[in-house]
Amino acid sequence: MIWLTWRQHRKQLVYLALGLAALAALMVPTGLSMHDTFQDSGLADCLDALGTDVLLSGQVDTCDALRRQFTDEFNSLTMVAILFMVLPLLVGLFFGAPLVAREVEHGTHRLVWTQGITRRRWALTKLGLLGGLTLPLAVVYALGVTWWFAPVAANGTGRLAYGFFDVQGIVPVAYTLFALALGTFAGTATRRVLPAMAVTLGGFAAVRLGIETLLRPHYMPPEELSYSTTGGQWLNPAADSWIYESGVRNADGELVSSGLIGCPPHDPLCLDRGGVEPGSSNWQLYQPGDRFWTFQFIETGIFLGLTALLCYLAVRRIRQIA
Amino acid sequence: MTEDAHETALETDALGKRYGRAWALRGCALRLPAGRIAALVGPNGAGKSTLLHLAVGLLRPDAGQVRVFGRDPRGDSETLADIGFVAQDTPLYRDFTADELITMGARLNRRWDADLARDRLTGIGIPTRKPVGGLSGGQRAQVALALALAKRPRLLLLDEPAAALDPLARHEFMGALMSAVAESGTTVLLSSHLLADLERVCDYLILLQTAHVQLAGDVDELLAQHRTLTGPRTDRPEAVPGVRSVIRASHTDRQTTLLARTTTTGTVPTDPAWSAHEVSLEDLVLAYLGAADTHRTEVTA
Repeated sequence: MIWLTWRQHRKQLVYLALGLAALAALMVPTGLSMHDTFQDSGLADCLDALGTDVLLSGQVDTCDALRRQFTDEFNSLTMVAILFMVLPLLVGLFFGAPLVAREVEHGTHRLVWTQGITRRRWALTKLGLLGGLTLPLAVVYALGVTWWFAPVAANGTGRLAYGFFDVQGIVPVAYTLFALALGTFAGTATRRVLPAMAVTLGGFAAVRLGIETLLRPHYMPPEELSYSTTGGQWLNPAADSWIYESGVRNADGELVSSGLIGCPPHDPLCLDRGGVEPGSSNWQLYQPGDRFWTFQFIETGIFLGLTALLCYLAVRRIRQIA
Repeated sequence: MTEDAHETALETDALGKRYGRAWALRGCALRLPAGRIAALVGPNGAGKSTLLHLAVGLLRPDAGQVRVFGRDPRGDSETLADIGFVAQDTPLYRDFTADELITMGARLNRRWDADLARDRLTGIGIPTRKPVGGLSGGQRAQVALALALAKRPRLLLLDEPAAALDPLARHEFMGALMSAVAESGTTVLLSSHLLADLERVCDYLILLQTAHVQLAGDVDELLAQHRTLTGPRTDRPEAVPGVRSVIRASHTDRQTTLLARTTTTGTVPTDPAWSAHEVSLEDLVLAYLGAADTHRTEVTA
């Protein structure tokens, strides 16, 4: 079985390895230059000095100029995040979807399932081996992307933000295994490669977006933060917070503006220019940045659960195919 | 290594398989003795592939049961090891070479005679280091047969293996099959709608028609039980002496010709007005298939 799996999938595995190597050839130099600039410009030390408290006071935003400079230089590169988000899907499309569908399409399931091993063992071995092969690749990819993104995330975006959370930590590994299981299950349902790929594509996008937008914000109840508009306090860009909503609330607690206001004490004119009454306060609803790993574990758990369910259903469906 | 004459290679009991609401096979009761070379005959859609897929465990029965050497073939790797199967259109991994397919078989089977497969293929001049997708249909069928034989199966099932081949390739394929099973004593169940292929080689007949078994038995016995009878025109052919049942009757103005199962094997009818002739396997099969067709039209009319 090991020999057969390798013989049947070696071409895709080689292409996958080549693709990852090409990606590494692009990412390693840009990542190094990003890390170098981050350190050499003093931005890293500056952000370190700010600590991780949500609110800072008494200082001006000393890192602001450096932060802008860094963003201007590297902002376009962060578009690569979209590419990173698509990578797990490719495993589902090119390993998962054809796993059963191609056999049925070519009739070769009647060859391989009538040899001396049961098709249950065939299915479990194939899923296990392909999962086992893609797992280390996914781990390398997740570690690499986490390293690559660290300066960008540290520079104010935070690791919990959409697009950043999804390509860092351990969730990319879970997405990859989920895509493989989804592709395999789609193949057992459609029994043709192209429809299976289409189902995998649609299913992956739907599940990922659905969980990301409907479930993820509720993994833990968000926290509220209110602070004076005139206290000289400001939000720490290094706090890593995932902000749901923010604005200015008046004394009755109504949201009157979606922007935040920082005025010197005893300057009613300043508040007037901002269009708010005295007694208003800045407010934000947010997830603290230190919940990153909790969120990662919760989301990983959900996707691994879905992976197990899809594998079970796929193996069950394989028994119905003749 | 001849099989025990009383052993049963394949046995089905009230076996049925349904696709949606339509039964592809229903109430199928069969017993194929070991050591036979059996033809599974019937028009397209009669349930031949379904029966073979049930026998090799690819399909799960919806009714009844199927036994190969007394065991359920589904999900049992020991029974699977005893069955060689050549599927319709002889599917193979087209990017594999014959050598690689033989390696695959060695990895997937506990009992595997790689030399047998390799020797067969080199013996008939099939390149074993070229991807099989580049071989002719006849050569691919030979590779599929060699793979099935390398399992050293006790029961070899073939699903229209030669249907897509040209007459010469078909002839060579059947020749290869027969020489192989003659050496090993393997029981064979071979489906085809090409009667001519089967007549030369088979000693057992299973006739499927519209999901049912119409006729099954030893070819010589079946031929001995049936006669073509010609005599004066009659509207009650069942009444002709010596006739047990009429399979097919055709009439001209003055003459009636019957294909009938006779009461005693091999005897001529007692009525001198009637003459009897032996039937060929093809006559017999066509008569049964035709009879079922007429019967069906009557029912639907």
